[in-house]
Amino acid sequence: MILKAEHIAKSFGRKNVLKDISFQLEAGSITGVVGENGSGKSVLMEIIVGLHSAHRGSVKIIGSIGYCPQRAVVFPHLTVQEHFDYFSVAYGVNSGLSKVRYEELLLYFNYKKYQYEKIINLSGGTQQKLNLSIALLHEPNLLILDEPYNGFDWDTYQRFWNYTTELKNRGCAILIVTHLLNEKVRLDQIYQLENGILV
Amino acid sequence: MKLNKITIGLSMILRMLVRQKIVIILLLLIPAFFLTMVQITTSDRILPFQLASVGEEVFINISEKAISFIFFAVASSGFLVAFLALNLVQKNNDVNRRLILCGYHPIELLISILLALFSVIVVIAIYTGLLTSVFYSIDHLGSFIIGLVLIGFVYGSYGLVIGSLVKAELEGILLIVLLVNIDAGWLQNPLFYAEAQNQLIIKFLPAYFPSQSAIITAVTDFSATVATVNSLVYGFGFLVISMLIFFYKMRMK
Repeated sequence: MILKAEHIAKSFGRKNVLKDISFQLEAGSITGVVGENGSGKSVLMEIIVGLHSAHRGSVKIIGSIGYCPQRAVVFPHLTVQEHFDYFSVAYGVNSGLSKVRYEELLLYFNYKKYQYEKIINLSGGTQQKLNLSIALLHEPNLLILDEPYNGFDWDTYQRFWNYTTELKNRGCAILIVTHLLNEKVRLDQIYQLENGILV
Repeated sequence: MKLNKITIGLSMILRMLVRQKIVIILLLLIPAFFLTMVQITTSDRILPFQLASVGEEVFINISEKAISFIFFAVASSGFLVAFLALNLVQKNNDVNRRLILCGYHPIELLISILLALFSVIVVIAIYTGLLTSVFYSIDHLGSFIIGLVLIGFVYGSYGLVIGSLVKAELEGILLIVLLVNIDAGWLQNPLFYAEAQNQLIIKFLPAYFPSQSAIITAVTDFSATVATVNSLVYGFGFLVISMLIFFYKMRMK
């Protein structure tokens, strides 16, 4: 078991967004969370990683987390390379290992030519590639991905799914918020978030 | 707490600052614009000014133009530093939280931000001090620059408070402009202060002690120690409040 969430509840004012959420993730699995806009998928992800507090319930995680938020949370005036340097230090990854990792990610997601470009000059899709790469930089045991492919072209989208499958085979547990029905075949289990509960 | 996290953080924050054209334009233009306006608009008539922080009966005779140079140097430094401090914290709130999620300790990030802010304060104070000395011969330039560092410290800490507290950019800028304009830009003006009906309120505003320190050192031989110490106390007060808000906002649940 990599993640165990029990009886999570969260409300904003009088609106109970999450009522009673319980689930667990095993190593080497891909789990999808689907649901309508505003159903609380992103809030659930943020509670799991620690950006929001739940009013009730608990989350237990074994190992390291990689989190890719829905929109690119990056510094507009730093370059791609500087993000890798900054976040490698944050993760505590040594510079040699970090260089191998980000070179691999730059090549795999096909944006090495933007390595020394400032984020403010990049397209939304390329910013999203960096957003995802930051989450993958330290080879986490648990990946929390909130619609990570926004703005990706078809080729990158395919590469993304191949990469997650590869990570799954290496033992990583992946939780992904998704909207696209054709992704169902790639998932080991799917939860639908409806009226604050997972079904 | 790791030193390399602080040095990398500092280096990245400084890079972000210097890459923003608006920061460089404001930094270079605002003091020059304020001082040029003083040069063009004020007269050379000699006026008596009260130096309240030295003593209630202490008056100095100085030209309106000279005192306006000192006053506007202080006001422009205060405004610039407050704006940049706001910019440092407010714009990067989400990505700073992501860094903390990835392993940065809030203290490491805060120290990086404070070191960057201190660098900015010193650069602005030296630039504004030297620029002022081009327009008017300052008696004690080094001490005058320290006075500008003090207004930077007080208003920089105020900018951090607003940046940590207010999420929307427009509201943040409004709160900065409002206080700087009323306090450093109006009430601390010796022309207004000497005739003010309630000087006690003015003495409790953030720019009072730094303004007094800058004026004393620029045009007299009096000691500015009391004004300097009080400025530091005021600045640390704001700094502690900003740190508490920053930690509260950056905490992981």
